[in-house]
Amino acid sequence: MNPEYVGSHPAPRSAHPHAGLAVPTTAILGSWLTTTDHKRIGILYGVSAFVFFLIGGVEALIIRAQLARPGLTLVTADTYNELFTMHGTTMVFLAIMPFGSAFFNYMVPLQIGARDVAFPRLNALSFWMFLAGGILLHTSFLAGTPPAVGWFAYANLTRREYSPTLGVDFWTLSLQVLGASSILAAVNFIVTILNVRAPGLSFMRMPLFTWMTLVVQFLVLLAFPPITCALIFLMFDRFFGTHFYDVAAGGDLHLWQHLFWTFGHPEVYILILPAFGIVSEVLPTFARKPLFGAPVVIYSGVLIGFFGFGVWGHHMFAAGMGPVADSAFAIATMLIAIPTGVKIFNWLATLWGGRIHGTTALHFAAGLIATFTIGGLSGIMHSSPPVDLQQTDTYFVVAHLHYVLIGGSLFGLLAGAYYWWPKITGRLLDERLGRLQFWLIFVAFNLTFFPQHYLGAVGMPRRIYTYRAGAGWDLWNFVSSVGAFGIGLGILLFMVNAVRSLRTPATAPGDPWDGRTLEWRTSSPPPAHNFDAIPPVYGRDSFWREKHGPQRTPLAPPVAEHGIHLPAPSHWPIVLACGVFVAAVGALVHLAWVILGGLLALWAAISFALEHHRNPAHEHQVGVLGIDHRKVGIWTFIGSECLFFGTLIATYIAYKGRSVVGPHPHEILNIPITSASTFDLLMSSLLMVLALAAAQRGDHRQSRLWLAGTAFLGLIFLGFQAYEFTSFVHEGLTLQQNLFGSTFFVLTGFHGAHVALGVLWLVTLLVLDLRGRLGVADSVKVEIAGLYWHFVDIVWIVIFTLVYLVP
Amino acid sequence: MNAGACSRRFALTAAVALLTGGCAWDGPQSSLAPRSDFGREILYVYAIVTWATAIIAVVVFVLLAWVLVRYRDRPGAAPAAQTRGHSLLEIGWTIAPALILLIIAIPTIQVIFRTQGRAAPGALDVEVRGWQWWWEFRYPALGVVTANELHLPIGQAVVLHLEGPDVIHSFWVPPIGGKRDVVPGRHNQMSFVVDTPGVYDGQCAEFCGASHANMRIRLVAETPGEFERWVEAQKAPPGESAGPAAEGQAIYARLACVGCHTIQGVSGGVIGPDLTHVGSRRTIAAGLLPNTPENLAAWLRAPERIKPGVKMPNLGLGEADARALATYLTSLK
Repeated sequence: MNPEYVGSHPAPRSAHPHAGLAVPTTAILGSWLTTTDHKRIGILYGVSAFVFFLIGGVEALIIRAQLARPGLTLVTADTYNELFTMHGTTMVFLAIMPFGSAFFNYMVPLQIGARDVAFPRLNALSFWMFLAGGILLHTSFLAGTPPAVGWFAYANLTRREYSPTLGVDFWTLSLQVLGASSILAAVNFIVTILNVRAPGLSFMRMPLFTWMTLVVQFLVLLAFPPITCALIFLMFDRFFGTHFYDVAAGGDLHLWQHLFWTFGHPEVYILILPAFGIVSEVLPTFARKPLFGAPVVIYSGVLIGFFGFGVWGHHMFAAGMGPVADSAFAIATMLIAIPTGVKIFNWLATLWGGRIHGTTALHFAAGLIATFTIGGLSGIMHSSPPVDLQQTDTYFVVAHLHYVLIGGSLFGLLAGAYYWWPKITGRLLDERLGRLQFWLIFVAFNLTFFPQHYLGAVGMPRRIYTYRAGAGWDLWNFVSSVGAFGIGLGILLFMVNAVRSLRTPATAPGDPWDGRTLEWRTSSPPPAHNFDAIPPVYGRDSFWREKHGPQRTPLAPPVAEHGIHLPAPSHWPIVLACGVFVAAVGALVHLAWVILGGLLALWAAISFALEHHRNPAHEHQVGVLGIDHRKVGIWTFIGSECLFFGTLIATYIAYKGRSVVGPHPHEILNIPITSASTFDLLMSSLLMVLALAAAQRGDHRQSRLWLAGTAFLGLIFLGFQAYEFTSFVHEGLTLQQNLFGSTFFVLTGFHGAHVALGVLWLVTLLVLDLRGRLGVADSVKVEIAGLYWHFVDIVWIVIFTLVYLVP
Repeated sequence: MNAGACSRRFALTAAVALLTGGCAWDGPQSSLAPRSDFGREILYVYAIVTWATAIIAVVVFVLLAWVLVRYRDRPGAAPAAQTRGHSLLEIGWTIAPALILLIIAIPTIQVIFRTQGRAAPGALDVEVRGWQWWWEFRYPALGVVTANELHLPIGQAVVLHLEGPDVIHSFWVPPIGGKRDVVPGRHNQMSFVVDTPGVYDGQCAEFCGASHANMRIRLVAETPGEFERWVEAQKAPPGESAGPAAEGQAIYARLACVGCHTIQGVSGGVIGPDLTHVGSRRTIAAGLLPNTPENLAAWLRAPERIKPGVKMPNLGLGEADARALATYLTSLK
């Protein structure tokens, strides 16, 4: 069963001639730093997430120690405020999300019968950028200035005059890096799930965990752009003196809240859906029967993802949006509770009539049903604005969010850990210790957070570093703090279990649980190539049907493979991430470092893009949908760009007419000249179409001509824009002058940056073409550059209409 | 708290009561002990949602416990029934929660509009400004400016106008009702009628910086007569200081205090709280300390020790000066 390796890659490490002999540590380290194997990347995410989880946990324990008694002075007020800010930010972005990523990375390709994700090097890049972002955030500790504005950082507390230290800047920059990492991963996993499925694995036959992953990736793709914009506005206010959150200049502080929560609400579904996916597989496996109503569970996951974008205002019921908005968001929030709640009944019905094996994974999954029910129900209480006006910003909502995030997300992830540990490590975790750990955490968790509902109801607000004695809060704060240390002990037990397990030999079978899905159809851990042959698909719960019937023949003919192509290791992802890190740190130190980091990142990006340019194995990447992976990828990315520009444009419109001083748009915008530059950009799209047609028919003379022409017209557009910007500055309109200056320059500036990147992309293609290295087989690369270019063009038409033409 | 009041409250919030201990839910900062129409409207919906969610929770927990016990793997257990779904059941358990949500939604919408409606004519207007880290209250129609302690008459409609001006704060006195953010650049308002005299506690409920935890509100609800007397006392200029208080006034007048604080007839600073009648307040430093000369002196000597990050500078006052100042301020009734 030795696979044949073709293509110009060296054989992967598992077939290395020295495998089995001592390998130098540097070689091992090097292999991890350059890995593109989704399984290793999953492990990297998991280990990093666990380290950050421990840091966030220590922060939580200090917080609870400080609140155990009234008036304690274990930490100063400033330190406490930094602690809860870092705890929230770390747990959301650096622990729960990457734990999910660890499982998506490891399991989704296996579950869909693939050998890896669609873009393995991009996958590695996502990990290294995540790590860069996490390290950047924690560098704030080294600098002595962690952020102290809360994990949702409301403006205008975050402006320089109220938060003068670098803390907020560390926070903003690291979130931008993390956001970029997540969006790249979202593109990758969407393309993978859409395009790399095994034959016969239609959408409705995909495992629930893969389905929930797909929904999560769409949420990431579309929810991160609004917070990217909100953070850009904050960065520009802090670094460049713009007025997005400047009340005196006409800014509206609700802008931050709307943008943040437009991200923040889908974010909570990003945090919980992976756990729901895990539970939807763990329960059937250990109850020995299918998920009850699997299609409905899938549809409800999709509905939650979709409608999750419409409920963000329920975080703002105290903000004063008015009774109509309050009512609309209340109803939307209650509606979304239905698909969420229905899952609980589907899970109970899955257990009903089963033959339930009480493994630790099952304990955590069943525990989640109990605790998520409480968290979901307190959420229903919050959905009613009158009630929420008492509960929001108090310990009641702290209880709610921890019930859904720990009792929901963390319990689901721990169930996944116990369930998939053998698959990943080849060893089983100890079940007795695991069940002990479960009960300890379950009891300690409820002890910590249930009393917090009461504390909120009797008036204790959140984010307070201390409280006075005699308010009736003393006893239950103490109990809550004791519980918190119990949770810590439970996590310690998990670590003990993990370490002990890793010391045993790796003898776990491929299918220790009589599993239902394809990851169990290969060894534990799988070989580098996942499956010796792409698995046949027998239906939903394909592996179960293969083993136990009734389906006896595969639903699609087997894949004809000519050997197995594995992704080669690459150092460009980590180099690119280093460049981004240097640039981000540089923003806090000196412009020279920003330029240095930026150049390093740019060089790495171009090298990354060209690394496999002449590799025949990379020429055709057509997937299950019949479309090249790269085309699906660029369309997916364009989806997120729609939200990005949509947010910038919406902000421009929302702030229109609110500038306190001039110059005002009608006084300064030059319609005739801008019409000319618009025409120029439209013509460039025409030339792009011609370039693609030429590339597709192998007409190099014409493809070079039209590529050069498109790039040239792009440069002319940028020239017009440079002229416009400089003349505006001379007429008194700068970024800092007024709200119009702030919104106009940021909107058109970022659009211009997109044009500039497009020109760079086209020039790269042109250079390749001039050197005779852009053949017909490479026309898909011209096509995706064209799609990007046309998109940027369409965005300009919208901007031109709404900013210049509409009075 | 007498047994009658306790059992009435129990009837309304039994679900909460079962799961918690102690009767601090009737305390001066509790949201479950309303003292105004706004608070009572909220509690009406609160009780409905609490009952509804408690019932759902019980149903789910009972079902969960039952299936886990009844269908656990044991020798002789029947093999798992390979059911894939049941349309009618699934439709049923989709409609049932929807109906329960309707039961929650209808009173919710009604109360939203009832409590965010226009205030009754003849309402008392109070402008509330949130500062880092204290509260300013102005009664424009009455010509009264004070800080941190809000006096209101019972039985009369009150409209609080919430205006910035530095960062976002949130005004919350739970027995009076829900909270509302104080957002610079925006105008929010809250209207209600307090029905029971008493002293109620609240505090800022939107993180606003270092001493967010130290930004308390004392709401004193009094009979119309008492309120009138309070207003008259607040409008009256302070009398001539005599004896030790005069010494304190002299110290006050020559120090930086005058740049930030207003004392009618003495100074006109607008950065810190109005101190014209600071001696009449029950607490100082936005509710942190009882208003005694000792506490005042301690505050004056080192405000940053009591309120981290406080904007009031430490003027390096000696013991004697601080005492004299405290005597003067206490005299400003």
